[in-house]
Amino acid sequence: MLNKAYAALIGAALSAAFVAGCGTQPAAERSSQLYETCMPCHGSSGEGNLALRAPAIAGLPKWYVLAQLEKFKKGVRGAHPDDMEGHRMRPMARSLLGPNDPELVADHVSKMRAVWEKPDFAMADTSAGGTTYRGLCVTCHGEGGEGNEALGAPPITRQHDWYMVAQLRKFQSGMRGSNPDDITGAQMRAMSLTLADSVAMHDVVSYVKTLPH
Amino acid sequence: MLDHLIASAASFSGDVDGLFVLITVLVGVWFIAAEAMFFWLIFRFRAKDGEKAQYVTGKEKHLKKWINIPHALVLVCDVVIIVAAIRVWVTIKQTLPPADRTVRVVAQQWAWTFADPGPDQKLDTPDDIRTTDELHVEVGKTYHFLLESKDVVHSFFVPAFRLKQDADPGRIYTGWFKPTKTGSYDILCAEICGIGHGVMGALLVVDTPEAFQAWEQAHAAETPAEAASATESTPAPAAGQ
Repeated sequence: MLNKAYAALIGAALSAAFVAGCGTQPAAERSSQLYETCMPCHGSSGEGNLALRAPAIAGLPKWYVLAQLEKFKKGVRGAHPDDMEGHRMRPMARSLLGPNDPELVADHVSKMRAVWEKPDFAMADTSAGGTTYRGLCVTCHGEGGEGNEALGAPPITRQHDWYMVAQLRKFQSGMRGSNPDDITGAQMRAMSLTLADSVAMHDVVSYVKTLPH
Repeated sequence: MLDHLIASAASFSGDVDGLFVLITVLVGVWFIAAEAMFFWLIFRFRAKDGEKAQYVTGKEKHLKKWINIPHALVLVCDVVIIVAAIRVWVTIKQTLPPADRTVRVVAQQWAWTFADPGPDQKLDTPDDIRTTDELHVEVGKTYHFLLESKDVVHSFFVPAFRLKQDADPGRIYTGWFKPTKTGSYDILCAEICGIGHGVMGALLVVDTPEAFQAWEQAHAAETPAEAASATESTPAPAAGQ
């Protein structure tokens, strides 16, 4: 009799533990918890951090964040031996282990309030930059830099200028966009290679910073 | 002896295992002896009705020998351990046998990158093979590694080689290993280096001579383009801008 009661008690305790373990966490809570992994570099508001070379991510479209997370996870982005910032981001993307984790965190980021980041560099020749922009970038990133989901091009007006210059350099050098599986990266790399030098990069980025945001 | 627990794949990994076993046995024997004596004393001299406890200072010769003799034996064991440890230390850390090949190992938050000298066997030349997450070496060859860190303190840890070496930014450490068994072995970071420390892993692939040659040929072809990419990473805005 006592043994049966004891067995029933243990059974009840195990069942309760199992149910508690299987309990689903609300998506909003989970996504906010997941973002804590991003916070040390990207900031609590997703504003980015120059010292850590982490871009502003607040308000980026969900499809773009998700696509980049997948690229980092698969090593399509951030695996080049010289890509220091990529090496920091890649394991973070890989730490999103749950099947819905990338989507949840991408959703969280996309709902953060985007802020226009003032230029950190001195503004260069925006007129020359505008000419370059209209000739090269407008097809994918749009006239107003609003981006284009169908082409995998992100909005860029609210991004830090130092980050955009850094990415143009990475695309040019092959640190980014040279992986055979990075289709959109390869497109961007081809575009970046048409920029003659660092001056041209600063010009076009300065122009982007003049676009309405 | 520990092979069945974790692979042993470098020339000196057996020395480390031997030292580990020696310390475990010597310390273990004394631990068991001390605990056995402790519990025997508790049992043998437990409180008994009508028997008064007596205070023993232990100063008398016939009592003191029970402390002095084990103490001397423990010191002998300590000396044995120290001598054995120094011998292994000298083999791994103080000796640098001539290298068949030298590779560069670079730690950074949170990845391992490597440079193999390529067909010309010289580092920092255009045919270097630079990789992320994977270091290929040839079985039976003596390797020197030049270990550096780009940012914070890391530790290059290859459990199957029983090899662990800290990497501080600003310094280049030279070490060596000689792989003895083909296979893929984990490379870990053994120094907490930030939020991504736990996932900072890579693979050390020990190839047969033929497989290594094939790997080298396959990668040497793509190297010149890769080498051109060693450029400035992210520029910082000029002060005051």
